[in-house]
Amino acid sequence: MIYILEKKELDQTLTSWSENFDVFAPQKVEKYSQFVPFKSFSELTFENPHNTRFPPKALFLPQTEVLQKYRPNLNQLQEVVQTPKPRVIFGVRPCDAQAVTLLDTVFNTQENVDPYWKVKRDASIVIGMGCTNPCQTCFCTTVGYGPFNHDGLDALITEIDEKYFIEVLTEKGKSLFTHLPPATKDQELQVHSLQLEVKENMPIAFETKNLKQKLDKIFDNDYWQTISESCLGCGVCTFLCPTCFCFDIVDEVQRNERIRNWDTCMFRIYSQEASGHNPRPTRRERTRQRLMHKYSYWLDHIGKIGCTGCGRCVRYCPVGLDIRAMIRTASNVKSEVIND
Amino acid sequence: MNELERKLKTEIERLFDEDIVDLVIAFKKADSPLRPQPAFYKNKAELDNLNYNSLCQNNLANYLTKYPHTTRIGVVVRGCESRSVNALVVEKQHPRENLYLIGIPCKGIVDIRKIINLTGEEVNDYTEIDDEISVRVNGNKVKLDRKDLLHDSCLRCVHPNPTNSDVTLGDLLPEGDPSIVRQAVESFEAMDRSERYAWFRHEAERCIRCYACREACPMCYCTECFVDHATPRWTESSVSPAGMQAWHIIRAFHQTGRCTSCGACERACPMDIKMTYLTDKLNENMITKYQFETGLDDKTQPPFASFNMDDKKRFIL
Amino acid sequence: METRPKIVLFQCQWCLYSEPDQHWVDNELPASIHLLKLPCTGRINPLFILNAVQGGADGIMISGCLPEKCHYKEGNLSALRQNEEFQDFLDYIGYEKSRIRFVWLDLQDRGRIQRELSDFEDDINKLGKAKIMASRINLPLGGHDE
Repeated sequence: MIYILEKKELDQTLTSWSENFDVFAPQKVEKYSQFVPFKSFSELTFENPHNTRFPPKALFLPQTEVLQKYRPNLNQLQEVVQTPKPRVIFGVRPCDAQAVTLLDTVFNTQENVDPYWKVKRDASIVIGMGCTNPCQTCFCTTVGYGPFNHDGLDALITEIDEKYFIEVLTEKGKSLFTHLPPATKDQELQVHSLQLEVKENMPIAFETKNLKQKLDKIFDNDYWQTISESCLGCGVCTFLCPTCFCFDIVDEVQRNERIRNWDTCMFRIYSQEASGHNPRPTRRERTRQRLMHKYSYWLDHIGKIGCTGCGRCVRYCPVGLDIRAMIRTASNVKSEVIND
Repeated sequence: MNELERKLKTEIERLFDEDIVDLVIAFKKADSPLRPQPAFYKNKAELDNLNYNSLCQNNLANYLTKYPHTTRIGVVVRGCESRSVNALVVEKQHPRENLYLIGIPCKGIVDIRKIINLTGEEVNDYTEIDDEISVRVNGNKVKLDRKDLLHDSCLRCVHPNPTNSDVTLGDLLPEGDPSIVRQAVESFEAMDRSERYAWFRHEAERCIRCYACREACPMCYCTECFVDHATPRWTESSVSPAGMQAWHIIRAFHQTGRCTSCGACERACPMDIKMTYLTDKLNENMITKYQFETGLDDKTQPPFASFNMDDKKRFIL
Repeated sequence: METRPKIVLFQCQWCLYSEPDQHWVDNELPASIHLLKLPCTGRINPLFILNAVQGGADGIMISGCLPEKCHYKEGNLSALRQNEEFQDFLDYIGYEKSRIRFVWLDLQDRGRIQRELSDFEDDINKLGKAKIMASRINLPLGGHDE
């Protein structure tokens, strides 16, 4: 079922939702956009084909989260799982929503449920904004997803001619839109054909068939040395990545809190062991690790590529490294193993 | 290739032919015309992708500390980069005799973020002929003015010419006006105390602790940074106000007498955070109190690495 | 101020030449003054000062020996350069310069540390509690909104 919302009524809709929910939408912060509580219609930025700079995974896995508070003199430990007010996260791109479902396989599985993640997930309704105008750095179709993908979304919006066509995908999403007029059969066809057209027009950045096998074969190749030479080893790609989830737990003794922070495999101390041994001692191993994790090890875990093609790492790398080019070159490296 | 790139290529070929260097660090054309990447040439073979224009935004002196002292390295350096190299030589991070500096007087680095703010993000092409810069956006050619695009640090540049280089390609440029930097620092100081703190918080608290600024800076080469110390733990690694403020304050402070105002930190930051206003103030203090400017030669010790008995007069008893 | 201002005293272990003075600092220091005894003022890392400021110190006093009288020869000279610069830098960001005071004690000084601390406390009282930079506050639960 597709419903229609006139674009000029969006302001009113978001404001009315704000009465019962905390509404988050991409708005202008400095010169870029970020998911912040909805303030005003004029600040909304999803007209801009680009994604928010900081990924919405931060709304489920905050960069800094207090896990426990303790009172040292009284030997008391207080676990603090804070259930947030029900919230609507509006305007999430399908790549970011897909990334959240990938992270569900880490934080919200049958065997392991992270309570901090789960309460935020359960309290959120995620409304997606499909990409009618994908940008140069987007490559979601290359990794098996697409600009109008449904995973992780409770509803998906496609914009055509000042109208928002809303496909409701879950019960949660339905509750927000049932009062709207439904689209006609012709309009539905128009939406679906636009979605297909946009998806097919996106260029494929690299071949993913047998990619994992190719990468595994060149694990010890010198190729990794060449691409790690210019890599700075900072955390930009990992922190802006919607699927990266590694974290570090620290006890801040001056504040009596146990805190979970994002961490990145690009730092030397990330893999430093207490003995002093480091299985990834140089940048070569660490840059290799990033590519292998996304395009090989994730496949070992859940059979899916761990990258959703959002393009943030390409846009914001300080030295201009492009992961698509690195994968293309890696696939073409001739491995030295004789019996392939 | 433009004329400067051809001269550069010839020089690098000569360095390999005469076995003067083992490695040359320069820039190359890579995957996007807006993002040249640092290049590490070990022989003459791949020099066809050599690139040098105003979009080359990284400070190449950063990579010197990654190689052993015995490696003979040729580096393409502009004004600020050559001073960073001098500062590294003073700190004994690489022997000067194993460095070959190819100096290029610099008209300033173009900040890609300024291009994007003017034209939108879908820029497909970039051409630069002397001072004429044009980009292609959605198929249309757009002409831009260099002075609208220069990075903020370059607008305040005092020393565009390479110091202490082994060869200089291109004509020397006039020195900049040091009072521009002083004025910028003084206008910040003229603000009310609480306004200064509010501005500092506004910038520092967008930080995501990715440490791109640290990794891009040639002077941040510590194997273990102060934020990684656990025992004792002086600064938090969380994105808490105390942690983010401490990171910016102390990183800037650790650059006192070592920073060359190249601005690589700001260009690397994914959250567009301003931080050169902090190091500019410290650099000004070094000039006023100790008549010291970083990297003008490769021998003078920075003020914090030395002391003078004349300091006795400054002890207020 | 209703409560006494929080003052952190970084004291070089050699600078209090008279026994009664050292005894007073070790045993009779008011509770609002936190003592940190160091082998030399040269040991003071600006991180220590920042840590104190972020924890809410209203005033920081650094007491050391006169130049040329340093037990480690030049410790106080390097302390002067770095920490004075840091004091100026913190002022640039907003934390008042006068909240950090250096006191260099002479062999002949007796009872000076008590006077200096009492004068310092009066001056801090006039400035008021340090409102800015006392940022080591508890984090909001559930993560913070970007």
